[in-house]
Amino acid sequence: MSSRRSRSSGGASRISDEQISDLVAKLQALLPEARLRSNDRVPSARVLQETCSYIRSLQREVDDLSDRLSELLATADVSTAQAAVIRSLLM
Amino acid sequence: MASTSSSTTPAAAEVEERGRKRKRADGAGSTAAGGAEAQPSKWRTRREHEIYSSKLLEAIRLVRAGSSSSSGSGATRGRAVREAADRALAVAARGRTHWSRAILASRRRRFQAVRRARLRAPATPPSRHNAAASAAATGQGSSAPPLAEKARMLGWLVPGCRRLSFPTLLEETTDYIEALQMQVRTMAALAEALSAISANSSSGGAGSSNSSAA
Repeated sequence: MSSRRSRSSGGASRISDEQISDLVAKLQALLPEARLRSNDRVPSARVLQETCSYIRSLQREVDDLSDRLSELLATADVSTAQAAVIRSLLM
Repeated sequence: MASTSSSTTPAAAEVEERGRKRKRADGAGSTAAGGAEAQPSKWRTRREHEIYSSKLLEAIRLVRAGSSSSSGSGATRGRAVREAADRALAVAARGRTHWSRAILASRRRRFQAVRRARLRAPATPPSRHNAAASAAATGQGSSAPPLAEKARMLGWLVPGCRRLSFPTLLEETTDYIEALQMQVRTMAALAEALSAISANSSSGGAGSSNSSAA
């Protein structure tokens, strides 16, 4: 029924609920929360909310890491940076 | 020692890139399902090496710029590192996703001009947004109002994804989250390695390697 409604909007993409729930499930699988994974019937709104907060926390983590890296790099020279990269690759 | 290491690192990166391009060509030649399956793992394996080499260049340039000009406070430098890291991440996405294109586009155009335009723009787009959202909601019938609100929040968080349809937004978010996870892993590993190396050098144990590097 929802797909029949979509014919009014140009019909370029008939988006089914199944497709959407599939994408939401994939998104849910990425989230670190174990409690979300336990249920199959997690409401999509909750998944989206968790996703928003997760993205924000990830971005904050990147900010902190980049601050830390800038401090570390300020005292390091080029060869030390290269050595660090190679070492982190091997770890 | 330093010259040989610097020559091998770009060469190794080139070899990696060639191998990855072949893999991508094979992946593209196969069906779309195969490509979609390869994508989740993409952010977890070889891409990491590619983004490492580009981050190395970024890190070295920042070190040189920071040390030569002694630019401002640590916050400025931290933000510069963050932006360069985001740019490297977007480049690694190879322009296949909306968010990566948005990051690169905002860097290429003049920063402040875009921001000023966006500051003025919100007067008009919200009305368009509401109209578009309501039209899309009635058209697709798949995103209920509370979902649409959360979806709009997501659209704000993910760069360049404000006007996408719901399923596209979900795909972009998935890719963006994986990319962010990889970025965090990479930077954390780099920070660990750097602190370990600086700890070693400061303790004076690696005197021989320092002299051979010079």
